[in-house]
Formats: sequence, C-alpha cells, structure tokens
Amino acid sequence: MSLTFSLAHLMGGIVLLCGFLLLSQRRLAAMITLYQIQACVLAAAAFWQGWAQHELNLYLTGIITLALKGLLLPYGLRQIVLRFNLRRAVESGMGMALSLILGVGLIGIAVLVVLPSTMRAVSLTREDLAIALSVVLLGLLVMVSRRSALAQIIGFLSTENGLVLAAIGMPGMPFVAEFSVALLVLLAFLVVGVFLLRIREHFDTLDVTGIEAIERRGR
Amino acid sequence: MILLPIFLPFAGALALGLWGTPRVGAIANAGLSLVVFLLTLAVFAAPGHGLIHADGLGLLFGALTGFIGLTTSLANIAYVREAEARLRPVLWRLYHALCQVVLGATLLGLYADNIGLLWAAVEGATIAATLAVSLPRTASALEAAWKYFILGGVGIGLALFGTMLVYLAAQPALGPGFPAMSFAALSAHAAKMDGSLLTLAFVFILFGYGTKAALVPLHGWLPDTYAEGPAPLTAAFSGPLLNLALIAILRFRHLLQVNVAAGGAAMAPGPFLLTLGLASLFLAGFSFTRRRDARRFFGFSSIEHSGIAAFAFGIGGPAAIFGGLLHMVLQTLLKSGLFIALVSAAGLRGSAAPGQYAFSHLRGMIHSSKYTGWMLGGAMFALAGLPPSGLFVSEFIIISQTVQRNPWVSLPLGLGLLLCAAAMLRNVGPLVFGPAPPHTKAHKAGAEMHLVALHLALVAGLAFAMPGPVLALFSSVSGALQ
Repeated sequence: MSLTFSLAHLMGGIVLLCGFLLLSQRRLAAMITLYQIQACVLAAAAFWQGWAQHELNLYLTGIITLALKGLLLPYGLRQIVLRFNLRRAVESGMGMALSLILGVGLIGIAVLVVLPSTMRAVSLTREDLAIALSVVLLGLLVMVSRRSALAQIIGFLSTENGLVLAAIGMPGMPFVAEFSVALLVLLAFLVVGVFLLRIREHFDTLDVTGIEAIERRGR
Repeated sequence: MILLPIFLPFAGALALGLWGTPRVGAIANAGLSLVVFLLTLAVFAAPGHGLIHADGLGLLFGALTGFIGLTTSLANIAYVREAEARLRPVLWRLYHALCQVVLGATLLGLYADNIGLLWAAVEGATIAATLAVSLPRTASALEAAWKYFILGGVGIGLALFGTMLVYLAAQPALGPGFPAMSFAALSAHAAKMDGSLLTLAFVFILFGYGTKAALVPLHGWLPDTYAEGPAPLTAAFSGPLLNLALIAILRFRHLLQVNVAAGGAAMAPGPFLLTLGLASLFLAGFSFTRRRDARRFFGFSSIEHSGIAAFAFGIGGPAAIFGGLLHMVLQTLLKSGLFIALVSAAGLRGSAAPGQYAFSHLRGMIHSSKYTGWMLGGAMFALAGLPPSGLFVSEFIIISQTVQRNPWVSLPLGLGLLLCAAAMLRNVGPLVFGPAPPHTKAHKAGAEMHLVALHLALVAGLAFAMPGPVLALFSSVSGALQ
C-alpha cells in the first residue's frame, strides 16, 4: 500500500513540476514539450491508479490521455508553430520572476486550502487533491500571464491535466473516462480554434475559398 | 419517454447539419422544435426515474426551454429569409444544427439527476454556443467567440473541480459510486456530508457555473456574445442557458443550506450569492449608460437579471426562492420576446446582421411599423419591472423577503433596481417614439410580432393570474429547495 502512495505522489509531483516549469518557459516549443511530458506522466498516473483501485475506467482514461494528449495534441500544436513560423517567437507578458513568485504563492494557497478542509477524507486523496488544485491554479496563472493565444491554450491544457489528475485520485468515482473525453472535445475545439484564428490574422478571413483563390493566383 | 426530448434534438441536429437548403433547414428546425416542446410537456406525465429524470424544477424549466426553443425557431424562419445571402449554405446547416444541439444539451442539463451529467451538458452547450457565435465570421465575432471560449472553458474547468469536490464531500454519507453524484441522494444526505469540503466545493461551483450565468466578475463574455452572434440564437442564449447555470447554483446551494441547518461544518451560502448578485446588479446599472448597440445593452440587462436571481437565492427561504425562480421564468420570456422584436425591427431598417443594432439606427421604430414599435417598447418597459409588468411581481416578492430576512441589504438592492429601471426607461422613448432616421419608410410588421405579443401576454398571465397547478408546482419546488 505504501508503494501505491509514494508512486502516486511521485507522479503527481512530476505533473505539478511540469505545470510550474511552464511558467518559466518563454518559448512556445519548450512549453509544448513540457506539456507533452506532463500528459505522459498523467497517463502513467492513471494506469497506476487503475491498477491500485482495480478500475477498468482508469485504464481507459490512461489510454485516452496517452494517445490524444500525449501524442496527438502536441503534434497539432507543433504543426501550428511550424505553419505560422512561431519557432523563434518569444513570449512577453508578466515578468518571469514575478510569475514564479505568484506560482509559489498559488501552490501554498492550494495546500493551505485543501489540507485542513479534507481531514476526514482518505489521505491518498487529500494530498493528490492539493497537488491537482495547484496544477489547476498554475495553469490559470499561465493563461493570465501570457499574451499569445497559443500560450494561453497551453495554460488551459495544463489546467485540464490538473482536473484529470484530481479525477483519477477520487476513490471509485464514476464517469472519469467520460469526463476526460468531454474535456478533450473542448481542448480539440480550442486547438482548432487557434488554428483558424491564426489563419484569420494572416489572411483576414476565415473563408477557406478565399485562401484557395489566393493560392491559385500564386499568393 | 424522458430521453426523447433530449435525444431528438441531437439526432435532428445531425440531419439538419447534413441536408437542406437554408429555408428548408429553418422550417425543419421549427418543426423539430415544435415536437420537442410537445415532448417537454409530455414529460409532465412521465417524469422517468434514475440517472435522467425530471423533478419539479426540471419539469418547469424544461417546458420553458421547449417553449422558447419553439418561438425562437419560428421567428428564425423570417430571419433566415432575410439573411440567407450572408452565409454559405454549409454554414446555415451548421447554424441550424447548433440551434438544436444547444436545445438538447440544455434539456439534458435540466433533466439530469447527476452532477457529472449536468456538468457535461453545460460543457456541450458551451461548445455549441461558442461555435454559433463565431458563425458570422467577422473579426469581431471571432473575437467574441474566443473570449467566450476562454472564459467559458475556465468556468467549466472550475465547475468540474467543484463537482469532484462535492463527490468527495459526499463520501462519508454515501460512499463511492453513483449515489454520491445524484442530486436526489445528495440532498437527502446533505446533513451528513463533510461540511468544510462542501464549502470549498461550493466556491468552485459558484465561480464555475457563475461564469456561465454571467455573474459579475465573470460576466465579460456575455455582452460581446450577444452583440456579435447570429441574432435569433442570442435570444435562445439569453434565457435557457443562463437559467441552466443558475439552477445548477441553486441546487448546490441547497446542499450547503441543509448541511448548515443540520449543524454541519459548512458555511452559509447566502453571503457569497448576495455579494455576486449585488455586484452584477450595480455593474449592469452603471454599464447601461453609453451603450450604443442595442444588443450589447440588453446583454447587460441579462447580467442584471441573473444578479437579481442570484440575490434572491442568497436571501433564501421558500418565498425568496419562489421569487427568484419566477423572476427567471418571466425574464426569460421577456428577453427572448424582446430579441425577436429587435431582430424584426432591424430587418425593417434594412438588415438584421450583427452591427446593425445601434440605437441611433433603430430609433423611432414606430415610424417604421406601429406594431413592431409598440411591441418593442412594451417588452423594454416590462423589463424595467414597473407595475403593469410581470417582473414587478417577482421583484416585489424578492424585496419584501429581503426586508423580512436581511433588512440591510434591501437598501443596495432597491438602489440597484432603481438604477437599472431608470436606464432602461430612458431608452424606451427615443427607440420607440423618437425621430426616425431620414428616408424611413413605413412597413408592414412581420408575422413574428404575434409571437412577441404571445410572450408579453404569457408574462402578464403568469405573474398576475398564475394557474393553480403551475402555482402548486412553483411552491413545491421552492419549498423543497429552500
């Protein structure tokens, strides 16, 4: 049982660390890589919880997380970066030191809020919940402190990883796999949305026929 | 039986999305909405049981949603005829499909007896609504949709976290598994739930669903969405989606209240709701001035009325909840009627495209069409909540309950209501009776104005002569959720 605890906490900790490092990264490509690592560790955590709780649901969540969030979404994000030539784009916004200090503060708040109010809950859930809330808040901080749409999206994706982390830690909660699928639909729309938005910025229209016309004329 | 009104819109959305010219789509959309409305009435006879079943609140607001869906889709036929050329046929198909998805998801949320399913329904409705807002494909529409998506997404995330915390708080009482997610089981065992965890959950729920209910400070998306989205769909937004979020807040508030009453460790939910409600009321009151776009203006009016409902829930007790629910129902009827009139009025002045709703452009509506002008003025006057209007009744109930239960907050409430009413009334005169822009010709009012008249009549009827069975349903619902 103690191995269950320590491994679950280790993986939760890595997810939190990735969420924290997102704050310190200025380049989009690095942020995407961090997100990918976070999603893969999250998938591993889901598998581990599935094994510990004997829940088929959680294995399913792990597979979905690994396939879509660990592989497909980062691929899509990288495509956006390549296509719109953002590889060298440097994010400006809030200063890095300030955002890191705020991040530490948010983690402190999450721990202070969750631990006292969950005295009666199972201890595994307690600490997992504190970690998950920290990841959620850090993701929101990334969204607030960055200007570009893509960086905001990555912040949102990280927030959502925190939510899934909380869900897999809940003892015997129904609908976990369904939740992660529903969230994924939202994420997919967001990524597609930013793709279309960038197209608009470049061509000032979303109407793809216009772009085809431009291509026919040879730009 | 209960599943039919939920799945029919989704199945219909698929068909509407794949086939049909815009006009055929609009008629099919209206036909489908008629069937869904009849089904929401049929649910009264067979409310079902288990995961998806309609309690009193669900029945009441399900029928309301069905009705708004029907009238909006009928008015939509005229809108499509006027606006057909502005979008490609594929986008019109998508538009009609999205209308049905919003309808189906809202009904699912109202009928779900499961906190997870409720969350999923709100999420689905948000995605569909965002896509719909982006449909005009103008830069400002995309910006509004993006804002909605980001704010709505954050709200949905917070609501999910709150939902999971509620599940965790229910563990001592109900143990793992489905019962800990069912509203019926939760409210029966709320006294034994973990109070402090429940309070934490409620904060997340309030901010999560509060985003969807456009409570200040989470209201940022709403005026833009109203102003930039396709006009008839905003009429659908203005009511049912906000109601769904408010009802979610009301249901979770009830859990807290029961826990507090039984001596649990939870905090009383009143102060949270009162603060957000008053903030919404005042922000709307101050934002009404200097609005040039009529739809943005009425967006702030929706924020105001959301705030009033949240305030009523914060006061608590069966009578205040009754007032709050009545206010939501009447407000929804009035606002959707008003939007139908507004779209029709803009159509009379040339185009009902987004951006054609400036007050200066629409002023003196009575010179274009008497009927449209009077209906528009009537709906606006009713929204101000002065005596002949139905909202007077609900606001009176709320105020008298406030004086009785929490006299001090009745001062800011009265001030806020006065501020909003004055701003609303100030615009009625110029918009309806003022001098029309040059070259205005008189037109015949569209047939959809009869729908507005129907809405106004329903509001007056419900407020001043509510039929016995409806009154009994209202009372039992608000008694159970006090």
